[in-house]
Amino acid sequence: MTLLIGSIQLGLLYAIMALGIYITFRILNLPDLTVDGSFSLGMACAAVATISGHPLLALFIAILAGALAGLATGLLHTRLNIHPILAGILVMTGLYTVNLGLMGGKANLSVVGNDTAFSSIESMFLTRGEMGITLLALVICLTIIVILAMFFKTRLGLAIRATGDNEDMVRSSSINANLTKCIALAMGNACVALSGALICQYQNFSDVGSGVGMVIIGLASVIIGETIFGRRSVTIGLLAAAFGSILYRIILAFALKIDMFPPYALKLISALIVIIALSGPSIKAALQQNKFRREVNSHLSDK
Amino acid sequence: MKKLLALLLVLILGMAALSGCSNKTATQTKKVYKIGIVQPMDHPSLNQIRETIIAEIKAQGMGDKVEIVTKNANGDMNLLPSIMQELINSNVDMIVPIATPAAQAAKGTTKTVPIVFSAVSNPVEAGLVTSFDATTGNITGVSNSIPIEDIFKLAATVTPNAKTFGFVYNSSEINSTSGIKKAKEYCDKNGIKYKEATITGTADVQQAASSLVGSIDAFFTPNDNTVASAMAVYVKVATDAKLPIYAGADSMVKDGALATVGIDYTKLGKQTAAMIIRIVNGGTIKDNHVEQVAEYANMINMGTANKLGITISDELKQKFVILGQ
Amino acid sequence: MLDLIKVSKTFFPGTANEKKALNSINLHLDPGDFVTIIGSNGAGKSSLFNAIAGVFFIDSGAIMLEHRNITTLPDYKRAYDIGRLMQDPMKGTAPSMTIEENLALAFGRKAHKSFFALNKRDAAHFRELLARLDLGLEDRMKTRVGNLSGGQRQAVTLLMCTISRPKLLLLDEHTAALDPATAEKILKITMDIVKESQITTMMITHDIKAALALGNRTIMMDEGEIILDIKGEQRSNMTIDELLAYYYKERKKQLTDDRMLLA
Repeated sequence: MTLLIGSIQLGLLYAIMALGIYITFRILNLPDLTVDGSFSLGMACAAVATISGHPLLALFIAILAGALAGLATGLLHTRLNIHPILAGILVMTGLYTVNLGLMGGKANLSVVGNDTAFSSIESMFLTRGEMGITLLALVICLTIIVILAMFFKTRLGLAIRATGDNEDMVRSSSINANLTKCIALAMGNACVALSGALICQYQNFSDVGSGVGMVIIGLASVIIGETIFGRRSVTIGLLAAAFGSILYRIILAFALKIDMFPPYALKLISALIVIIALSGPSIKAALQQNKFRREVNSHLSDK
Repeated sequence: MKKLLALLLVLILGMAALSGCSNKTATQTKKVYKIGIVQPMDHPSLNQIRETIIAEIKAQGMGDKVEIVTKNANGDMNLLPSIMQELINSNVDMIVPIATPAAQAAKGTTKTVPIVFSAVSNPVEAGLVTSFDATTGNITGVSNSIPIEDIFKLAATVTPNAKTFGFVYNSSEINSTSGIKKAKEYCDKNGIKYKEATITGTADVQQAASSLVGSIDAFFTPNDNTVASAMAVYVKVATDAKLPIYAGADSMVKDGALATVGIDYTKLGKQTAAMIIRIVNGGTIKDNHVEQVAEYANMINMGTANKLGITISDELKQKFVILGQ
Repeated sequence: MLDLIKVSKTFFPGTANEKKALNSINLHLDPGDFVTIIGSNGAGKSSLFNAIAGVFFIDSGAIMLEHRNITTLPDYKRAYDIGRLMQDPMKGTAPSMTIEENLALAFGRKAHKSFFALNKRDAAHFRELLARLDLGLEDRMKTRVGNLSGGQRQAVTLLMCTISRPKLLLLDEHTAALDPATAEKILKITMDIVKESQITTMMITHDIKAALALGNRTIMMDEGEIILDIKGEQRSNMTIDELLAYYYKERKKQLTDDRMLLA
């Protein structure tokens, strides 16, 4: 695979995680840090299930596990009145042990040699297996986006959106706000876990430390997408988050290719590229302001 | 209600603190020598060393005199100092850290408890000892420095057309950075060009390796623990681009790298066990200088060689330990 | 319809801030009653609404809605039968969602059962309701509520409260934050909706004149108690001066609430 194709594939698979983060951070307006734990949880579940010979079931198990993790955070917040950030951290910390336990006490589990969703695709496409993998990633990503977009047009979806917007109003509309929060957290983390499961099958190993920093990458993807597409509707927001994830990976690839800096400067370079990309709208507005100011000044001096 | 919960919490924490203290007063009826073996992560090579040490100690009839406790940081290096502290609190008589990160954590935690490390490739650069000949304070051990030059010489034999190498490694692992430094020295001396891509975690390996494809003829990675955990994806990128990987550890070759000049980890384990037994039986740290593993072997993965279309002459095959048909 | 039996609530009991918000209140509402509630600040009017709506649980007493005991029911369950409108126009709607979406959410259980909340049949119903407001909102159903003015948002909130035909409507100074012209319009719409659907209503207001003119019954509260409850002829003959004199006699102090006096 080339750097570009590999980056796009990674971008599409991580996009599902970005969708999950979009649900909790943007739609529900709740800072959810469970993500670092549920990503590795999805990875661990998928690794164990794939090694036992059930690659497709692995994905569903991961979704279920992620949902449970999100539910745990939701219950800690709504029932025990723990601040959402702390609730997320608590569940994430607990999941570290759960993940290690799932992988039999090991921090790293290899899946090489077992059937995965991607290996079966590779055997279907006789030549150019890469095309098949990219297509599979694209299909999965788009399917999730369509499902989520449709869901947020149902009554439950509207209720979740309103909970993030104005919780008091939701209670006055006779909707159980605690329930909607739990459901949204479960959904978001289910997406994140699915993303972890897919990455595990894609890279053929599961690593318990992979989740660390995922929430940052997910947020970066969501916000990059928003800056480019604007905050218009939920559907646009979902597409933007996915696009932001792909763009983030491409930016990283770009930064890697730049030769003139020492290799450890990678993170700084990617941060700079993101800053330049996101400053587009602000710079445009500033230029327009300047133009207007000059015009006004020249008007006054004419008089 | 809230006050009751707060009181309960304080009670629980208090009990936990007290139970931590009580360990110190526990007396032992029989004087058993307690050894704590610590690994930074799960790894076939590291596991093999640990198992060999334990088996060898038992085989030498020390099973009754020695109690062994094993700990594993499971990839989270931040846990190592706490693990070391906990071992010291439980009155271990010796700490046996396997691999550099564990050894560094051990040194930082105690100046009195004897430390016998294993599988540290650059003990001087890691700050563990000042030189191979003079042991400092309470540390000694068995080192397996990676013969970087020999690996490149092997590469010249197996793939003589590789003129530009790509280095993929985790710059926060000192064993990797010193290995790369030696590699760069060798390459500069012998007119070999190189490019680098560093990573911070297993998730970075794919894009880092892919970014070098197209401008190099071969990959080189020293005994980097992070890259070793991500071999599956590293090998995929390399094989797709028909590039060989020369690695610094035999487990990496087993997982798909092309070749290395490595050591038998069982021998390393046995050598470490021998040093441990000497010290348990009354030897001092001062008398046991840091040892090196003497025997190296060329190792190659025939399966990878076939996939890359590299033919190995039968004469050359005889000099190799073949891994992975 | 509504019965409050010896309802009491004290905030911050046992501390320096202790305040007896509701002091053993007894109240009975018949179906179709439109009660206006007046009183100076801190009298307990909003606390009364909060207790009925379930924002907090009362310390003692019972609340019955249509002979059903709702005293321990959580707020969102009571909201099925009780609609509430607040003073702050921003509080009643979800600003990032459209008018249509807000109405669909409030319509909820009474809605036509379909997969998508926003379907054509409900949309037509909403359009009809919005048209009756005569604010031009029926043409802006896909506008984000956050982009509407305060008066428009209150109108939408009013619709949301009444769309699912609640048994009781609580209006907490819902025109107080609007300019006079808009306030009058919203009040008129309120009266029209209440008259048409015959919802039992309670309205807090600082406008004594309006309090006596609108509805069929007026209650005056002071320091957590109901000190006056008039209806029928006694009410229609009551003037503002008489009301103030009564207050002075009962509470041995002047009614010094500027907003009430100047309204």
